[in-house]
Amino acid sequence: MSATSASPSSATRRAWMAVLARTPRADLEAALQRALQGAPPPAYDWLRPPEIGLAMVRGRVGGSGDPFNLGEATVTRATLRLRGTGDAAAAVGVACHLGRDRRRAELAALADALLQMPEHYSALHQQLIAPFAEQQAAQRAERQQDAAATRVEFFTMVRGD
Amino acid sequence: MENSQIALSTLTPGFADPVHDTQAVFRTLLDALSRPGTVGVVEKGLPEVRATRAALAAFAALLTLCDYATPVWLAQPDSALGSALRFHTGAPLVDEPGLAAFAYIHDASAMPALESFALGEAESPEHSVTLLIRVEALTGGAPIVLSGPGIQHTTTIAPIGLPEHFWRERAALAPLFPCGIDCYLVCDSTLIGLPRTTQAKVN
Repeated sequence: MSATSASPSSATRRAWMAVLARTPRADLEAALQRALQGAPPPAYDWLRPPEIGLAMVRGRVGGSGDPFNLGEATVTRATLRLRGTGDAAAAVGVACHLGRDRRRAELAALADALLQMPEHYSALHQQLIAPFAEQQAAQRAERQQDAAATRVEFFTMVRGD
Repeated sequence: MENSQIALSTLTPGFADPVHDTQAVFRTLLDALSRPGTVGVVEKGLPEVRATRAALAAFAALLTLCDYATPVWLAQPDSALGSALRFHTGAPLVDEPGLAAFAYIHDASAMPALESFALGEAESPEHSVTLLIRVEALTGGAPIVLSGPGIQHTTTIAPIGLPEHFWRERAALAPLFPCGIDCYLVCDSTLIGLPRTTQAKVN
């Protein structure tokens, strides 16, 4: 589905949404509170209250073969709109992640909306996006290393006679 | 129309509690169609301020009944309604009335002939259109006597704002039963169901 809102740049927004989608709920909650410095979260309206559904995960053998259905995964998505702050177009926050945690989708959507507002961007980016992006990159590198260590090379011996 | 982007910053929110609100509206729609001539009321659940000018009952009915498999045709262009339907229900908007499973007619005086809509096939009469026609009022117009299944003897409705040819074209479709068109007359938050089995007599 194509959808837009007043966004800084779709590439940077995509990057922070990817980080938010992988951040656990407790971390999101704590970091959001830190970034807002104890202030109450802004009021918002639901465009789509958090809802749980199924998504078909598809894969390709070797990353380039024919697509096949791997299985279904539970997905939670939510869309909210911050209450009007005057003349500027209201910021819209979207969240989508694996699992069935409604509160987590709410927090991620709220963070996405706040990140689009210049006055909240730097604080949130420092407190929330940057550290978790680093953490997730480190985790991924570690997993890749672990997998690479178990790699088996197959050689074919040619009988030379 | 189909590929235009949805402006989320001005989108009309849907039901506050989608599961229970759509069930309540579905019950209202079902009751209205099984007791033709009675007035159904869409209760709360949708925001007071909406970007679309569509009647509340029609908006609620479309949000309840539509999904990705039911093409919708809007007789009068209404980008706010179209965006809201695409976002909340995933229903595709079509340009041809004959392709639509649901059609919303905001201005009844400009409605096309009923033959231009899908009437269903003899094997699949359920593949016909359901029309949501906005009228100025459900009472106070010329009386129309209804009879048929769901009505014990006769009942009388008096909507204002329906063109004369509507009743004529509707009567012409009666011999095609089981094919035909089901209609809802909507006005603000109220509606009257008019299934294909109901015979209408204009006095």
